[in-house]
Amino acid sequence: MPRLEALGETQRKMLLNWPCPDNDDTPWTTMGKPLSESKVAMVTTSGIHLRGDAPFRSLKGGDASYRVIPRDSDPADIIQSHTSIGFDRTTSYRDINITFPVDRLEELVQSGYIGKLSDNYYSYMGAINDVEGLIQNSGPEVATKLLSEGVDVVLLVPT
Amino acid sequence: MSVLARVYEERGLVTTGLVLIEEHAQRVKPPRMLSVPFNFGNTLGRPNDPEYQHEILRATFDLLDREEGPALDRFSPDIAPELFSQGSGVVRQDSPVVSDPSQEVDLMRPFYERWVQQNGGRTAVGLSTISQTDFKLVIKFLENFIGNKELDTPIRPEQFSVSHFIRYCVDDLKAYCFESKMYEDPNLSITQLHEWLWAETAVGSLIMRLAERMRSDNDNEVKAVAFGIAR
Repeated sequence: MPRLEALGETQRKMLLNWPCPDNDDTPWTTMGKPLSESKVAMVTTSGIHLRGDAPFRSLKGGDASYRVIPRDSDPADIIQSHTSIGFDRTTSYRDINITFPVDRLEELVQSGYIGKLSDNYYSYMGAINDVEGLIQNSGPEVATKLLSEGVDVVLLVPT
Repeated sequence: MSVLARVYEERGLVTTGLVLIEEHAQRVKPPRMLSVPFNFGNTLGRPNDPEYQHEILRATFDLLDREEGPALDRFSPDIAPELFSQGSGVVRQDSPVVSDPSQEVDLMRPFYERWVQQNGGRTAVGLSTISQTDFKLVIKFLENFIGNKELDTPIRPEQFSVSHFIRYCVDDLKAYCFESKMYEDPNLSITQLHEWLWAETAVGSLIMRLAERMRSDNDNEVKAVAFGIAR
């Protein structure tokens, strides 16, 4: 977003008052190997999914479920059901990489910057203001899947 | 996003990512995040600019070199992102080129179909599951809903409630209009595209009237959906 101090009062207040957990500490996992030897996965909160998947729902508090997007999915088969008047989607119509940088990650593997990529990426919707579902259910579920796929590093991209 | 980073990191994964609201990340304290100043929906800054997107991604991956956290860096240079108008923020043209939304989507169709072809079949249209060639049926239903003549429609897939179906129809109509216009005039900015939709199109006018009708509904779900359609 633009720095909050540059926004109008209404939007600034809304974002400042958005319910999110206040934490005192930070969990930390140490890199076990260089990025050039690591397997990287991507998780997006842009609310995209395959066309055949159930859309994300505009529920009170937000829809904390997730969808699996195989890395080799054709971009034509991907659609975004998290929509809002609060953000512009025309940029992602022009270039899916703006919120889901699939091509950029492939290029980083080709250049040797990243070791390899996971077979699956994962998608949640954004703007969830009740995060308990993420913390208790869908977050740990995806973490288990990522670990079972041998993922070392997760790149998180919001929208 | 920051919450997920913590959940994954607690389970032994190393995370790094991007945040759009730096103030939220300061509170949640994810391990590694790069704060970017772009608008929602524009996380990697510039569409179709691989070099710039790589610059951002490399700055994000550079955070993996840190030995302790939270590491919350700002991407520089700081820029002022382009903002866009809501429907209520523009002045509608007195004499729109086309006043019938059904006629308008017909006129847009050649541009839309060329957009899809140009983009390898990729389109944001499809949430409603109604083919764009049947948008006249959608528009007729929405007009009737506004006039309280029809509160449901046989074209609604049973897995969607009426209000969610309306929402997906509106999302599809917006995407169809934007993609048509982006083919017709590829150089329009985000601001210009949104102003065009709300000020100049019959579809934009229809959506505004629909949102107003839904906001006055007694059903809370309908009211909630109205909030996401137009303001």
